[in-house]
Amino acid sequence: MIGDRPLGLVLLEMTLLVLLGPLVTGTIQKIKARLQCRQGAEVLQPYRDLAKLFRKETVQADTTSGFFRWIPGLVLAATVAAAALVPVLRAGPPAFPLGDAVMLLGLLALARFLTAVGALDAGGAFGGMGASREMTVAPLVEPVLMMVVFSTAVAAGTTELGALAAHRGTSWLLAWRAEDFLGFAAMLLLLPAETGRIPVDNPDTHLELTMLHEGMLLEHSGPGLGCMMLASHTRQVVTLGLVSALFFPVGAPDGAGAAALLLGVGAFAAKILALATYLALVESSYAKLRFFRVPQYLGVGFVCALAALGLRIL
Amino acid sequence: MSAAAVHMVIDDLGALLLFTMILIVAASQIYRAIYAVAAQSLLIAVAGAVLAASTGNVDLWVIAGITLAVKAVALPWVLHRVVQRMNVRRELEPVIPVAATLALAVAVVVMSFQLSASLGPVGQAITGNALPVGIALTLLGVLVMATQRTALTQMVGLFASENGIFFTAMAVTQGMPLIIEIGVILDVILAVLVMAIMVLRVRSTVDADIADLDELRG
Repeated sequence: MIGDRPLGLVLLEMTLLVLLGPLVTGTIQKIKARLQCRQGAEVLQPYRDLAKLFRKETVQADTTSGFFRWIPGLVLAATVAAAALVPVLRAGPPAFPLGDAVMLLGLLALARFLTAVGALDAGGAFGGMGASREMTVAPLVEPVLMMVVFSTAVAAGTTELGALAAHRGTSWLLAWRAEDFLGFAAMLLLLPAETGRIPVDNPDTHLELTMLHEGMLLEHSGPGLGCMMLASHTRQVVTLGLVSALFFPVGAPDGAGAAALLLGVGAFAAKILALATYLALVESSYAKLRFFRVPQYLGVGFVCALAALGLRIL
Repeated sequence: MSAAAVHMVIDDLGALLLFTMILIVAASQIYRAIYAVAAQSLLIAVAGAVLAASTGNVDLWVIAGITLAVKAVALPWVLHRVVQRMNVRRELEPVIPVAATLALAVAVVVMSFQLSASLGPVGQAITGNALPVGIALTLLGVLVMATQRTALTQMVGLFASENGIFFTAMAVTQGMPLIIEIGVILDVILAVLVMAIMVLRVRSTVDADIADLDELRG
């Protein structure tokens, strides 16, 4: 198979995603602050937080096993590997064997599993609570994400994200079929759940009753916590990248040369900014759902995704 | 607009109608259900306008306008006022759990697509997914009426059900005679007004709701 994306480009895209992850979080925080009539921290604040964490020393509970130290690195590695699978600058299949969308979701699930294992290993009550809740939400989110991916993959005949994005083409909004609308609606409902935001989770709180993801990070400290934070920034931007690869065109139509790559960067920034604004709007206008209401909320996404898949196949 | 483009737009509107319907089925607050049904009526009006532009049928423009004014603006406003006047609990408590309702909704959607696929040549003559979406909307409206306890949400269900019939009629016949459409819309207005007044009166005299009527024995 002759690919459009050589190894160098894939590595460049991966680095870009990992480096931009904190910026996306910072932007969402800033938009949220402005919507709430606050000044808010600068968009670069997440980078400063990370730099501070990486300078600190690690403090661990005595009850943790030896595996606990490895968790942050493994979680970060799985997430960064997932970032390599997202087409950013140019659509088209890669020039060498690389995983597809199923692999990406699998890697994200692996990161989630390792995080939960780490939280349980430390033996703290909050970590256990957070892990238990996260593992309750995950089986509701992942199959629906899978179905949304499949509903677009059936049309393109492949699950490779670059090829999917290439199939989307340039006349994208006019070419959207009924299935795409339903799939996108399901994706918009799932995005806050997958990125750990209101109405499913609240990233800003450390109140024991409300946190899912944050609860699992409580026992980590110093560089380990930094790795976990960087992993969750990356996870967020990877999820947004997945949405944009599935539903929007990626890169310039005749992708060659520096101008086309620059256009790809601009288009990617615009798409991510639009999705980040959506997340900030949802976070500012909704309250967090009671935990037992979450399955109902995700059920709407499930029905939409199922209808999209049904429409595509029937 | 070419026939293929109209086909596609009606298909897409059908998907959005289905989405608003799922939102109504899963609504946890009464205001959300009302807003969703208003959005649904707005989409129906857009569908009417698209068909009117493509067929050049003046009646369809009139119908789209009436739908927009009456079903997307006036009737939701009446429902909204009734909710405010009644001062009811705004959280909905369905008869069966919402998850079960959603599962039933999935079954209904799949069934209506299966049904219209089995129509064969008759189904082919009809614009895209309009028929299955219309059937699904109608049946899901009935589902909402069956699973909700309060009269107001049952009205929303009736409303959505009527939207489904309207959408199918419009897409299948490329516009029914104006007099029939106006008759249907007048029926809906009357039904909603009568029900709204009934609900308010019942509420103010005996402070009961539809669910309490189960306990009525002769």
